[in-house]
Amino acid sequence: MSNEAEKPNFITTSLDFLVNWGRTNSLWPFPYGTACCAIEFMSTEVGRYDLSRIGSEYVRFTPRQSDVLLVAGTISYKQAPILKRMYEQMAEPRWVIAMGACASSGGFYDCYCTVPGIDHIIPVDVYIGGCPSRPEAFFEAMFDLQKKIKDESYMKQRAERVKDQLEMIKAKTEQAKAEAREFAREKTAELKEFVAEKEQELVKKAQFWKE
Amino acid sequence: MESVIDILESKFGAKRDEKAKWDACVVVPKEYLHNAVEFLKNDPSMQFDMLLDLAGIDYLTYPNHEGPRFAISYAFKCTKKPGSRVRLKVLVSEADLKVPTITDLYASANWLEREVYDQYGLVFTGHPDLRRILNHVEFVGHPLRKDYPAQKRQWLSTTDFLIPELEKRLEDKGYRIVQRSKEIMPVEEEYLEGSIRE
Amino acid sequence: MIVLDPNGEKVNLMALNVGPTHPATHHCVRLLAALDGETIVAGVHEIGFMHRGFEKMVERGTWQQVIPYTDRLNYCSAMMNNIAFCRAVENMYGIEIPERTKVLRVIVNELSRINDHFICVAAAFQDLGGTTPFMYAFNPREEIMLIWEKLTGARLTNSFARIGGLYRDSYDGFEDDVLAACKSVEKALKDLHACLDRNRIFLDRTVGVGKISAERAISYGWTGPCLRATGVESDLRKDEPYYDYETYDWEVVVGTQGDANDRLQVRLAEIEESVKIVRQALKRLAPGPVDIVDPRIRVPAHKLAYQDMEALIGRFKSVYEGIRVPEGEYYCASECANGELGFTIVSDGSGHPYRIKVRSPSFAHVSAFNELVEGLTLADSMATLPGLNMIAGELDR
Repeated sequence: MSNEAEKPNFITTSLDFLVNWGRTNSLWPFPYGTACCAIEFMSTEVGRYDLSRIGSEYVRFTPRQSDVLLVAGTISYKQAPILKRMYEQMAEPRWVIAMGACASSGGFYDCYCTVPGIDHIIPVDVYIGGCPSRPEAFFEAMFDLQKKIKDESYMKQRAERVKDQLEMIKAKTEQAKAEAREFAREKTAELKEFVAEKEQELVKKAQFWKE
Repeated sequence: MESVIDILESKFGAKRDEKAKWDACVVVPKEYLHNAVEFLKNDPSMQFDMLLDLAGIDYLTYPNHEGPRFAISYAFKCTKKPGSRVRLKVLVSEADLKVPTITDLYASANWLEREVYDQYGLVFTGHPDLRRILNHVEFVGHPLRKDYPAQKRQWLSTTDFLIPELEKRLEDKGYRIVQRSKEIMPVEEEYLEGSIRE
Repeated sequence: MIVLDPNGEKVNLMALNVGPTHPATHHCVRLLAALDGETIVAGVHEIGFMHRGFEKMVERGTWQQVIPYTDRLNYCSAMMNNIAFCRAVENMYGIEIPERTKVLRVIVNELSRINDHFICVAAAFQDLGGTTPFMYAFNPREEIMLIWEKLTGARLTNSFARIGGLYRDSYDGFEDDVLAACKSVEKALKDLHACLDRNRIFLDRTVGVGKISAERAISYGWTGPCLRATGVESDLRKDEPYYDYETYDWEVVVGTQGDANDRLQVRLAEIEESVKIVRQALKRLAPGPVDIVDPRIRVPAHKLAYQDMEALIGRFKSVYEGIRVPEGEYYCASECANGELGFTIVSDGSGHPYRIKVRSPSFAHVSAFNELVEGLTLADSMATLPGLNMIAGELDR
């Protein structure tokens, strides 16, 4: 199975295309909105800049039901363990957008309480600049994320993930085959002995009846 | 405003603050703080019923400053008489960081005093729950002091437990804890694994 | 945990963490509640998740560099914070700003107040479950933000006020845009009232919920719409007027019960009063200078600096060393959208602020939160929290 992904063919690439099409056009954000960028995100959700036209119909305020962790606002050291937990609780596939100057780099709060960019805590896919980021910039970031997702290959990812397991399964089947061969050899040897014994008995009986 | 300052000056050993050129402020010795505040609140001619703010001030790098290092500025307002405001200042030296609390007089003093403790390290004697409020629970030092470098960062490994404070609040309300839940143990190692550590 | 309640009966309580990652808390308040079934028996709450070190950051720059930091305090109505700070420093100087600046600042104040109240009300309804009022309330905000963009260059955190004036004068067509925005605001208000005034669900969830008495509110230091909802008529624009607020024809909106419903309805009514003030202020807008002419306070215009040596020097010194605010200490408060925003300013006479302490209204409101929710169900607690309008930037600074 891993061979199939390493040599992409029509079927795997079509499957990738289908999966990516589904993923890019239904990105459900989890707005981790702490500060001013969250207000701009709210503006992006409604009315004039409508977020649902790119597939994010309703924002899910829970990590379990969302794809994109959208960190909008400053993260302080008090908030950092919580952000990490939220990221870990998200199910794959998941992406992270760092919205605004504070999330990308700490902003102009270069002080004792601000994390200088959330990439110190979680891996980030797209960064948006701005203080606060304009809704148009946010859309640009979503489109960048969609481009990034289109370049991903579902089959390759799956192959990567299952590579170790596949190798383990291969090794086990080899072992099982070897054991089966051993067993078969033993059994044939036993049978041969049994047949040879029977033959000898028959020969003895034949001799007896001759005499 | 002059009358308020005159009355305060005649009692409690208070002195007008020369630094306050645009509003009324008196400096009160620490020992008379509680009495002065009680007077401001309860006296029928004063009736300053709202405590607005406690501002801690660190005079370490103030040019030509003599006297104690810290000061706290209490801002009061009277809601019944519009425009009636007064400020009280208390000077606290570095050797003795204790200040009497006024949480029994004003409910807003609870959190305001906690903030001054958090940022400056001044200890309010008699405060029911003096702990950090803005900085995280593992923070060491008092950041708004002038000798704390602004960029000195401190990582937090795990969030505040808060169960002891909850139990205290229950006990204040008349409940008695009989048995704790089995899941609540002091912070365990595996809980720390999912958090950042530096 | 098992506790004995004051009557001596055994009750089994559960400690539930309504953590900061809750949509109603906007990621800044954490409540650890001891629950008896659904009722909160006792609660302990924690803030500080957005502490950004405003007070430490402003000490390292100049006085003018404080203004962008003040923007981000109450970021829903950013320019009100700028104007509050500039007013405090202008009082320390003892200068009088020009008439046109006063009127423009009043218009900007009231439009920002409308913005803030709309966000508070919209977020409150979304937390209660209704998304439609959220959409209705954000429509006029878009028009107002367009005006901000044309006027100041930014949509949300525009550092518009300067010490001694404004960043720049308003543009041609400003009055028409503001009048159109007022119409849009009134339409949105009509839609919101139609959604909510007789909505069974909204009334059941907010009437009588999260009540606080006026004395307790005053003891906690509540100000602004939350205090006015308890029945206390206290508004700094009428009590200690500035910028000619007493000459405009408007009223202070006061509630009766002090519950969550009142807090939201007071905000909606205040939007109407603000629209009245804006309309009157637009009529007073007369041509004139927008900055005071004092190079020691308000930096000379860019064009002049290219022509005039003194202006160039003034600009250089102002920007590089900062303006020199007179030495002393001062507390000055303005009526911002949430309540009384005060600045305790300690100046040592140099170009850098020595100490600026922000008296934030949300801090006082949220300190009462655990007392408000004790006795309510968990759902009710999430109905009271948005009415307090806790803005994390202000709460934790």
